[in-house]
This record gives sequence, C-alpha cells and structure tokens, in this order.
Amino acid sequence: MRLRDEVRQAVSALSASPGGADRAAGPHGTTSDLTIDETLLLHSAGWEPVDLVYGVSWWSIPWGVWQWTTGEVQEASAAFTGAVDHAAKLLRQSCEQAGASGVLGVDVGLRVSSHHVSLELTGTAVRRTDARSHHFEFVSDLSARDFVLLTRAGWWPLGLAAGASFVIAPRRTAREWAAQQGQNVELPNLTQALYLARERAMERMQRSGATMKAEGIVAVKLREGKASSSMRVIQFVAIGTGVHLRTAAHRSIAPEMVVPLDERVRLFEVKSLRSAGGE
Amino acid sequence: MASTAGNGLPEAATRRLAEGAWSSGLSVADFASCLDMGMQPVGYVQGYAVLQWSWYMTTGGFGMGLGGFGGGWTSSPQRRGQYVEQWQCPHGFVSAEHRMYGANYELTWLEDSWASGWGLATGRMVEEAKALGATGVVGVLDAMRPLVGGAMVEFSASGTAVVVPDIPRPATPFSTYLSGQRLAKLIEAGFAPVSVVATLSAVRMLGYCITHYQLAGSGVGTWYGQGAAGVSGVGPVDQVNRAEAAARRIARERVRSQLGTDLLHGATLERSEREIGEGDLSIQCTLKGNRVRRFKEFDPLPEAVPVVRLT
Repeated sequence: MRLRDEVRQAVSALSASPGGADRAAGPHGTTSDLTIDETLLLHSAGWEPVDLVYGVSWWSIPWGVWQWTTGEVQEASAAFTGAVDHAAKLLRQSCEQAGASGVLGVDVGLRVSSHHVSLELTGTAVRRTDARSHHFEFVSDLSARDFVLLTRAGWWPLGLAAGASFVIAPRRTAREWAAQQGQNVELPNLTQALYLARERAMERMQRSGATMKAEGIVAVKLREGKASSSMRVIQFVAIGTGVHLRTAAHRSIAPEMVVPLDERVRLFEVKSLRSAGGE
Repeated sequence: MASTAGNGLPEAATRRLAEGAWSSGLSVADFASCLDMGMQPVGYVQGYAVLQWSWYMTTGGFGMGLGGFGGGWTSSPQRRGQYVEQWQCPHGFVSAEHRMYGANYELTWLEDSWASGWGLATGRMVEEAKALGATGVVGVLDAMRPLVGGAMVEFSASGTAVVVPDIPRPATPFSTYLSGQRLAKLIEAGFAPVSVVATLSAVRMLGYCITHYQLAGSGVGTWYGQGAAGVSGVGPVDQVNRAEAAARRIARERVRSQLGTDLLHGATLERSEREIGEGDLSIQCTLKGNRVRRFKEFDPLPEAVPVVRLT
C-alpha cells in the first residue's frame, strides 16, 4: 500500500471508536519509551513492548565514614550493592506484573551523596509476540538494536552486573609533599587509590555476573573519579549486561558492506520501509 | 481566555490565520517529508497559558512541592484513590523536636495545576489548528518555565498544523511530537497518531525519625540494624523508596487512564527532587509521549540486514 494511502487510512481511523482494532493492547494501554525504529526492529525479531517499568532504591550510608580513615569505605560500597540488588528486584517485579519476559534499554541513574546512594532503573518491558505465556528472562541496559544483534549472534542477556568501590586515598607525608612541590610528578597515593577502587569494583561486577551464571559482561560502562567534596575520595563504578551463549557456538551476523552514495543532509524525500520510493 | 471571534480564539489570531502565507515550524527535511506523505502545512499554531501558583511559592525556583503538610491536604479535597501513607516512630515521646510521625502524600493540587496549565496550552494549540481546518498538528514542542518572578509559570505548546486533502477531518485534529520520517515510520508500522499526552505526579515525603536518621547518616545501625554484607548502618530508606515508587506509579497510571486501549509511544520519564527541609523531600515525575492507535494489523518488516558503512 502506498504511504499516502496509509496516511489517509490512519486519519480515517481517528474518527472510529478507539480500541476496537487494537488486539495487543489488552485491558490497559501499552506504554513504551522505545523509539519507532526500536519498536519496528523488535517486532521484526518477534518482540513487542508492553509497559514502562522502573525500580528505585535509596540506601543509607552512616555518618562519619568518609573521614578519618584511608582505604575502602565499606559502608558506601555495600550501600551501592544493596541499592543495585533492590532496584533490580523491583524492576523484575514490575516486569512480571506487566506480563513481560524482559526489560530492555534500562536507563541507570546513580547518585552518591554523603549519606545515601540512590539508584534508578527505568526501561521498557518486552515480550515475545508469538508466545501465550511469558516468564521472566532478563534485564538489560542494551538498546533494542544491540539486543537484536546479540541474540542473532546466539547470545542472550541475563541481567545487570554491577560493582562499585569507594576509596579514600592516604594523605601524603610532609616529606613527600615537600619533595613534590613545583614538580610535574605522579601522585602515587591517588593512583594507587584509583587502582584499588578499580580492582574491587571490577571484581564485584564480575562476581555479580558469575552469580547470574553469565559467561561474560558486555557494554560495560565505567564511572570513575572524585566521589565527594573531598579530593581524596575516589569512586569506581562498573555496570554492564551479563550474557551467556544459548547456541553451541557464536554465530557470525555477517554484516553486508555498503557504500552510501547519498548525502544525509540532502535526504528530503521520505523513505518507505518496504519500497524504494516514498509512495 | 477572552474570545471575540466566536471560535474560541482571540480576534487577532483569527484574523492572522485567515490571511497571508502559511507558516510552519518544521525543519526543511521534515517539511519535505510531510509533503511526501500528503500532509500540507497550513499554519504554525501555538497555545499558551500563564498560571499563578500562589501560596506555596514562598521560595525561589518553581517552588514546586512547597507548602505545609496540612496545606497540601486542606487546600484540595482528598481525591479518590489519592496516595497517602503514614509512618509512626517506634520510640514514643522523646522531645518536641523528635519526628514522631511521618507521611508520604500525593500533592494533588500541584498535579491538578500542572495538568490545567498543560491542558490549556495544548488545547489552545489544537483549537488554532481546528480553526485552520487542519487534520492534525505535527512536530509538537511543549515547555514550562517561570515567566515573572517565581510565582508565575508559563506553559507553551506549538506545532505545525497540517491538512490531508480529500478526506473527512477528525472531530479533533490529531497531535504528535513526531514529524517527518519518524512519523512516516509510525504510520507505516500501523499506528495512527491521536494526541500528545503528559502528566505530572508529585509526592511529598515528610520523614519520621528513622528516615531522618537515615538521610542524615546518624542512625549508625542502631535503628535499622545490619545492612548489606553485614555492614552496620547501611540499609534501604524505606519511606523514600515508597515515595519514589509512588511518584512513578501515579504518573504511569494517570497517563494510562488517558489512553483507553490506545498505546503510549516514545515516552519520556523525567524525575526531579527537592529537599524542602531536613529529611523532607518533594519528588516529581513528568511522563510525556505520543498516544497512538493501531489502525491495521501489524505487518512485520523483513529481518533487518546488518551493514557496515564504508565511509
């Protein structure tokens, strides 16, 4: 059907009573934060959006843990782990209540303050279009495009794997401070604190992946640097999606190579998804 | 809004819309795409509403979420299904400063004001489109910002009214945040744009003593025991977690109540929070998106072909 005819058909449908044509929506309207490209791509792979879902968790950090010490702030790291686990559990519950099988495109909002860690997970619950019943399978911060490519290659997402560490670097001695004045030199106390935080965070993330029986963690995002108003507190946070192989071996997706002959800025004509022309 | 033209629009707007060249807020690419789809721009339509949010605007910024515990309840009758939850201190009377009670409650007066402002602005935009004989409004942009001082808030909505010739116009022109190629894809996928929808949910959290201790970090494990990995003083802040979940749930349910059996596409959920006192928070969520209706059975696309661009 020509695109212009589809536009006319769509406008005509607005005069009809709502709801009659929508089988998939069910008793409640579907909500989704996916783009139209992601929705179409998911449909082509046999998935559809169901509901916008979320999980939020605040965990407290006791007073005084950021001062008068050096090394890792165990309380902050534990609060992060607790908040991640709790938020992921709430997200899963929300997904199951929606009758979906997984959550895609999870947006991770993390805030660390002196007295609490808060973690917000928001994504779109999805389900298979051809399945009658749906059981929970995964939570992932991968986009719909990455999800389709990953599953086509034989891999499957399992859940969010995360680890964090907050380390207070030791102060320099007076002798070290004096020796470093006016020189461009490495500050070993801060480098070492960064490495300590890195090792602990990565180790925890990998352990988190192993707990969910993941073979690996993809699309790992790192957040590192100063954690608070004190320049001596270093944070390192690592979050990714745990994956495992569902097929006997990795399948090549064999991408085709294309040489585009158009200039993007001059693409004025609307392109149909099924035919070469706009009509 | 005062009208002298009999069509709900100011007289000057009616006169302007009746004469001269049409206007459009579309980019050149989106303009050309709409023409390809058979949509002809007829006018760049706008709607505005300025609201005064008076007695609770006592400090800077938007002041949203300010206002007393009693004020929040007494200024607006408790709506059916309004979220309210209470907590009681386990210690009994300790001192006059000790927070013996805590509560989470929905700020319905704030939600209603926001809905009123947004509804007026978008409604006026659609009214202008209707006066132009438009089929719909594409490429909608909306915003809310303080206009004068802290107590006057401007809601605005604008978009390009389009006509699809030779077919009956819907009773109310459709509206959508989408335009151009993205709108073409939406329609080709079998979804008709119905309207833009948005809602604000607001939840006030007045912490009781335990929440105060947790947010101030002064509990040190005494009140809430061992937390994650057995680390003392670490634990979930239940009252805040309940308020956060409620704000999101209210926003989603309120948008859903506007959908019927239609769908919400391309939603954006924005959250903001203000600490309005020690251990007291105001949490707001804005959920926006395109209400769309399926007008034909889904026609799956062929499996996408992965490509590598050699540029």
